[in-house]
Amino acid sequence: MNAFNTIKYSRDPEIVQHLRPEPPSDWEARTMPGLDPLDYEIFTHKMQMIALEGKETTMKLGASTGMRWGDVAFGIYTAQGDLAVCATGIYHHAVLSQLPVKYLIKHLANDPTVGLKEGDSFFYNDPYYGGVHNADMGLCVPVFSEGKLICFIGAAVHTGECGGSEPGGMVNSAKSRYDEGLMSPPIKIGENFELKEDLLGLLANSTRDPRTMVLDIKARLAASRIAERRVHETLAETGADFLVGGLRRILQQTGEAARAKVATLNDGIFRQPRFIDTTGPEAALLKINLVVEKKGDRIKLILHGSSPTLPDRPMNTFFQGLIGMAMVYACGWLFPELPANNGLLEAVDWEFPEGSFINAQGDVPVSYAPATQVAFAQGMFMTGAKMTYATDPSRAVGAWHTGFAVTVFAGYNQWGEPIADITPEINATGAGGRPGADGVDVAGAFFATMSDCGDVETTEAERPFLYTFRNFFNNSYGHGKYRGGSGVGMGLKVHGVPMVAIGSMGFGSHFPATLGIFGGRAAPPAFVQTVRGSNLDGLMAEGRADLPRRLEDLYAPGGTPEEGTRDYLSVAHPPALYEGGDTFYVPVTGGAGYGDPLQRDPDAVAHDVSSGRCSVEAARDIYIVEIDGRTGLADKDGTTARRDAARKARLARAKPYDAFVAEWSKLSPPAEVLRYYGPWDGSAAQEA
Amino acid sequence: MTYDVGIDIGGTFTDLCAIGAEGGLITAKTPTTHYDLSVGLIRGLKDLGTRAGQDPETFLGNVEALRYSTTIGTNALIERKGPRLGLITTAGFEDTIFIGRSRSWADGMALHEIRDMATIAKPAPLVPPEMVVGLSERMDCHGAAVRPLDHDEVREQLQKLVDQGVQGIVVSLMWSFLNPAHEREVRRIIEEEYPEEFLGSMPVTLASEVSPKAGEYTRTMTALVNAYIHGVMTQELGDLTTNLRRANYRRPLILVHNTGGSKKVSRTRAVLTHNAGPVAGMYGASLIGAQEGHKNIIFADMGGTSFDIGVLAGGTLKAQDFIPVIDRWRTNIPAIEVKSIGAGGGSIAWINTAMGGQLEVGPQSAGSVPGPACYDQGGTYPTVTDADLVLGYINPDNYLGGAMLLDPDASEEVIEEKIAQPLGISTLEAAWRIRRLVDARMGQEMFNEVALKGHNPRKFVVFACGGAGAGHACGFARHIGANTVIVPAMSSVSGAFGASSMEIRQVWEQSRSFRVFNFMDQSHLADCAPLNGLIAELTDKAMRDLKLEGFDEDRIGFTLEFDMRYGSQYHLTRVTAPKLGFDGVADIEALCGLFEQQYAEIYSPEAAFPSGGINIEAVFVTARVHQEPRKLIGAGDNPPRDAVAQATRLACFDPAQGLVETPIHDWSALAPGDTIAGPAIIEAPDTTYVIDPGWSYRMNEFRNGIVTVKAD
Repeated sequence: MNAFNTIKYSRDPEIVQHLRPEPPSDWEARTMPGLDPLDYEIFTHKMQMIALEGKETTMKLGASTGMRWGDVAFGIYTAQGDLAVCATGIYHHAVLSQLPVKYLIKHLANDPTVGLKEGDSFFYNDPYYGGVHNADMGLCVPVFSEGKLICFIGAAVHTGECGGSEPGGMVNSAKSRYDEGLMSPPIKIGENFELKEDLLGLLANSTRDPRTMVLDIKARLAASRIAERRVHETLAETGADFLVGGLRRILQQTGEAARAKVATLNDGIFRQPRFIDTTGPEAALLKINLVVEKKGDRIKLILHGSSPTLPDRPMNTFFQGLIGMAMVYACGWLFPELPANNGLLEAVDWEFPEGSFINAQGDVPVSYAPATQVAFAQGMFMTGAKMTYATDPSRAVGAWHTGFAVTVFAGYNQWGEPIADITPEINATGAGGRPGADGVDVAGAFFATMSDCGDVETTEAERPFLYTFRNFFNNSYGHGKYRGGSGVGMGLKVHGVPMVAIGSMGFGSHFPATLGIFGGRAAPPAFVQTVRGSNLDGLMAEGRADLPRRLEDLYAPGGTPEEGTRDYLSVAHPPALYEGGDTFYVPVTGGAGYGDPLQRDPDAVAHDVSSGRCSVEAARDIYIVEIDGRTGLADKDGTTARRDAARKARLARAKPYDAFVAEWSKLSPPAEVLRYYGPWDGSAAQEA
Repeated sequence: MTYDVGIDIGGTFTDLCAIGAEGGLITAKTPTTHYDLSVGLIRGLKDLGTRAGQDPETFLGNVEALRYSTTIGTNALIERKGPRLGLITTAGFEDTIFIGRSRSWADGMALHEIRDMATIAKPAPLVPPEMVVGLSERMDCHGAAVRPLDHDEVREQLQKLVDQGVQGIVVSLMWSFLNPAHEREVRRIIEEEYPEEFLGSMPVTLASEVSPKAGEYTRTMTALVNAYIHGVMTQELGDLTTNLRRANYRRPLILVHNTGGSKKVSRTRAVLTHNAGPVAGMYGASLIGAQEGHKNIIFADMGGTSFDIGVLAGGTLKAQDFIPVIDRWRTNIPAIEVKSIGAGGGSIAWINTAMGGQLEVGPQSAGSVPGPACYDQGGTYPTVTDADLVLGYINPDNYLGGAMLLDPDASEEVIEEKIAQPLGISTLEAAWRIRRLVDARMGQEMFNEVALKGHNPRKFVVFACGGAGAGHACGFARHIGANTVIVPAMSSVSGAFGASSMEIRQVWEQSRSFRVFNFMDQSHLADCAPLNGLIAELTDKAMRDLKLEGFDEDRIGFTLEFDMRYGSQYHLTRVTAPKLGFDGVADIEALCGLFEQQYAEIYSPEAAFPSGGINIEAVFVTARVHQEPRKLIGAGDNPPRDAVAQATRLACFDPAQGLVETPIHDWSALAPGDTIAGPAIIEAPDTTYVIDPGWSYRMNEFRNGIVTVKAD
C-alpha cells in the first residue's frame, strides 16, 4: 500500500512520539545478553571512533556557516532508528535526527516505490522530524550485512539557507509553514552509492545558495559513507550479531545509567516560567511555563500553562524540539560523564498541552523555533541549578546567553557569487556565572558546544562585509557574585557590493532573555542599530580615530561621528536591503549572573573596571564598590560600609510575604503586550 | 672519525645519538638537568665521545653537525617565563586574542577534559589586556587600505606600552598577510623612536613576517608565541653555544624544526622548535622504515605517561591541514602533526559504576609520580604497567635495564582490590582485560588518525618506540589492521636518532586566494601571472635565506604545494604541484584535475563537486638542501636462525591457560638474522618486547626488530 494514504502531509504524529528507544527487536534481545564484556568495551570505543571520524569529515567538507564553525551531529542508529552512538556537541540534533530514520523505516522501507537497500541515501529537512526548523538538514544511509539491515548512519547540521520567503533559514514574516522554504520529509536522494543528479538539482534550485547546499549534502554523504565502510570493517571482525546486540546494549546501559544518576538528585518540583518578548515580527510577551518534577529515577517536563499556538507567527516549536534541547543541558552540564544517545531519555517523561505554541501542530510556521527552544533550555539550566545545588553544586550554573541575536544575510558577494547564510557570532555568547567562578567571556554557543566564531578575516573573505569592530560587549552579562561571561559586539559595514539583504533573528530586546540565578542579575536586553546612507566609508578614508571600537561606544555621551539614518531595531526583524557603506551593529550578549552582586569580591569588580569589562557606574550602583580613580583599586572599607547600608535599605523595603503576594498579584503588563500570552492569571496551568 | 650528532632533551632523560662517517651508531642517555639543560647535554656529549673511544675534546672537534630538538621555548611558554609583551593591533579588534574564536577554552585540551561544560576555562593570556593597543587603520579583503595609518596615533599608543614597561612588541593588523604595508610602517616608527643604540630598543615582531597566513587570531597567536619564547631561547641557546665552543665544538648549532627539517640557530624562528622532538622521531622512523622498504608508517612513541602518534605516508614527512596548538594557543605554522593521546604505561584502570560496572582504562594517568603501584612511590591506582607486571611481561628486577626495581606484589594487590574483586574475576583475568582494553583503544585512536588523513590504515606498518612501545605493539597493531611492527634498535632514543641526520629544509608560505576554476562562469583561471609571481617571490625568499646560511644554489631544491578547496568550503586539501609554475591554462586545468582526483580518493567520488568552483587559498614552497645523509652500515644479511632463549618466565597469553613458562631472550645477545616465534619476551636495556602468539620477531642487519603476523 502506498505509504501516504493514511498520513496527512507526510507528517506522522505517531512517529514523533518515538523519542525513547524502541523495545529491543528479537535479534537485539537474542544477541545482547551473550556479549563478552571486554569485547563489548572494545566495540563501544570503536563505534565512538567511527562517529568521531564521521563528524570531523562532515565538518571538513561542508561549506555553510554551520559546517565551517558549527557543530555536526554524527550518529550511528540501530536498525530500528535509535541513536546509539554519536559524536557531537549539538546534542539536540543528535537526539532528534532519529525521527527521520524512524519515519523512513515505517513508511518508506517497505514501500514498493521507494524501498530501502544498500547504497541508498536519504535527505530530510522537514522540521516536523528534525524537530527544529527547515534550515537544519540531515542525511542518512542504511548499512546492510548479507542482505540484513544492521544499522543507519547519519549526519545532521544547519545549512544556512533553505529558500524561505526570507533568506537565511529563519523567516521572520512567515505566516504558515509554506513561507519557510524547502520542507522535505525523508526522501531517497541516492541509490547504488550515487546521488541522483535530478534530485540534487531540485534541492539546489530551492535555495539562494545552491553551491553551499550541494557541498553540505555531499559532506554529509561522504562522511556517512566513510563511517559505513568502517562499520563493515567492524562487522568483519565482530559479526552482525555482536554489532546489533552491542548497539542495543549501549542504549540500554545509558538508560540505566541515566536513571541511576537521576535517582541521586533530591525529589522535588522545580518551576521556572520563561518569557519571550517577541512573536518574530512584533513585540509581545510569550510564556513557556516550565515545571520540572523530579521523582525517583525520572524527571518529568511539564509545560501546561504555556502560551497558545501562534497561528501565523514563526515562534512556534514542535514539542520534540524542546525534548532535544533538554538533552543539550543533560549531556553538557547534568550528565557529562554519560554517553550522548537517546537512552538518556529513559529517565525523562514529558507532558505538553495541546494548542500551545510549544507544541506546534498543522501548518503553523516554526522557523523561529530555535529561539523558543533556547528559551526553554535556559529554563533547564535554572531548574537544574535548583535541582542539583544540594547534591552537586558544581552543576548549579547560570544559563549561557541564548545565542540568538543572529545576523542573517543574502545577496551576491564581492566575487559575484550567490550567498545566503548567518554570521558565525551566533557562537560568541557568554557563559553563565557558576559556583566559584565567573562565566567564561565569549565561550561559544551552549547548544553547539564544539562550535566557534571563526576569524573575522575568514568571514570577510567570502561575505560582503567589513567588520568595523568585533570586541567584547562590556556590561552585556548578568552581574552577580560570579558574573556572567561577556558577549561580543560587532559592527558590519556593507563592503565591496552595491547592496545586500541583512536581517536579524532572536529575542530579548525588550525583556531580558537570560535571567540570573540565586540572586544574580539577568543579562541586559540588547538591540540592533543600523545606519543607512552612512558616511562611515568617508570617515575611515579620512583616518578619523574617534570611530567606535566596541559596541558600547555607539551609546557614549556625544555619540559617534557617523551620520546617516539611524534606526534601533529589535534583534528579531526581517532582512532588508542595505547599500554599500551602510552599517549594521549587532549585540551578542553575555551569560547570567550567579549570586548576589553585593557578595562579589571588590577586587574582582576593580579588575573588571580596569579591563573595561564592567563600567564604573555598574561597579558603583550594582556592586556598590567604590573604585579609587587614581589607583584603580577598590576602596574596601568604603565598600563594606556602603554594602552594609545597601543591605539595610533592602530590609527597609521588605514586606511580609502575604503582603508582597497581594500586591504583586495585582500587577499586570498592558493588554497589548499580552495579546498572544494566554491568561495572565495562570488559570491555564491550574486547569491542567 | 667524524660524526653527526642528534640531541633530544626530554623531561627525564637527555638522549644523544651519533652516526659515524663509517656508518656506526652510538647512543647515550643522561639525566636531564633542568636548572641548566646545557650541563646534561654536554655531559651526554662527553659520554658519546667515551663510547666512540675518543676523549671528549677530540670527539667534539670531530662532530660535523650537532642537531638539537630543543624544548627551551615550550618550557618557557608553559612556565610563563617570557617577557612583558605589548600587542599593537587594528582598532576594534583589541580583544581578538582574548575572544580566541570563542572556543579557546578547548584548544590544547583532550576531548574528555572538555565534555563537562560547567567547568570550562580559557587559559591565562600571554599578554594582559592593558598591554594591547589598537590603531585606527584598516586593510580590506583585497589588501586595500580603506583607513590610513595615523603616525601620531602609532607614537601615542607606543608610548602607552612603553610607559607600562613593554619588553617586546608584536604588531598584528587585519589582513596584513595580504598587505603588510601598515605593519612595516609601524615597525619603522618604533625603530625611529627607539633606535637600536638606545637601551629602550626592543624587539619588534610583525605577524605578516612570522605567519603570512589568513586568520587574524591564529596569525596573531603565532607571532605572540614566537615573540614570547624568542628572548628566552636566544639567551639559553647563546649560553649553550658558548659552552659548546669551550668544549671544542666549533661549528654552528643546528635546530630541529617541527616542519620536518632543520636550520642553524641563527636562521631559525623560535615558534618552529615547538614539539620538534617527536617530529625528529618520525624522521628517524622514515629512515628505518626505508631500510625495510616501507613508506607508509604509523609512528607510535609510547612512554610511561604519554603516547605520541604520527602518520608518515609515502615515505616523507608532510604537513597536513591541521591547527597546531602550542600549549593552549592555536597557531598556523606549517608543522608536521604529532598527536598525543591519553594513554601510556601510567594510564589508570577503573570501574565505571555509572555505566554498570564497566572496566575503563584512562584517560587519567598516574604519571611518573606517584606512577604505577609497582613503582612503590605511593601510587594506589592500578595502571597498565601494573597489569603488564602481573601478566609476567615485565621483569621486576630488570625494568629500564635495572634502573628501577618494581614491586609485583603491589601490582597484584591493587588490581585484585580495585578491579578483580568488583568484577568478580581473577587478578590475572583483570590484568589481561586492562591490557587488551588499552591496546584496543590505542590501536583504534591510531586507526582514526591515519583514516582522517585520507589513508587506508591497513596499508601501514607500525613503528613502535618509547619505553613501552615494544611491549604493546602486537596488541595495538591488531586494531589498526597492521601486520608488521618495526621496533628500532635505539627505541628509547629515536628522537635523537632522527635529529642526527635531519635534512636542512624550510617551508615558505603565503595565504592568497586564486579562483582557479570560477564557479560563476565555469572557466579556468586564464591569467597565471599573479600566481606565478607569488611562487617566484617565495622561491626567491627561500633561495636568499639558504644562501645566507652558506649553501650553494645548485644544492637547493624546491617543492610547490597548494591548499585548495571547493567553492565556499572552509577545509583545505593540500595538493603537490607537478612543477614550479604555470605555463598556461592547461597547467591550471591539470592542477584542478589533480585536486579533484585527490579529493575523490580521500572522500569518495560522490563527494567531489567539480562545478562548485575551485580555489587556491595558500601557496607553500618547501626548500631543501641536497645532502647525502650518513648511511648506517648494517651487519649484512644473515640467514634466518632460530634464537635460543636464555631463560623462561611465567607469563600469560591467554587467561584460560593462566601463567605459562615463556621463553625470555636477552636482546643484547641476539644477532642479526635471529628469529623468535611468539609467545616470547625479549628484554632489551631500554625496553621489553612482548611477542604475542602468532607473531614472529626477526632482528635485521641494523639490529632493528621486525615483528610480523601472518595476514588474515
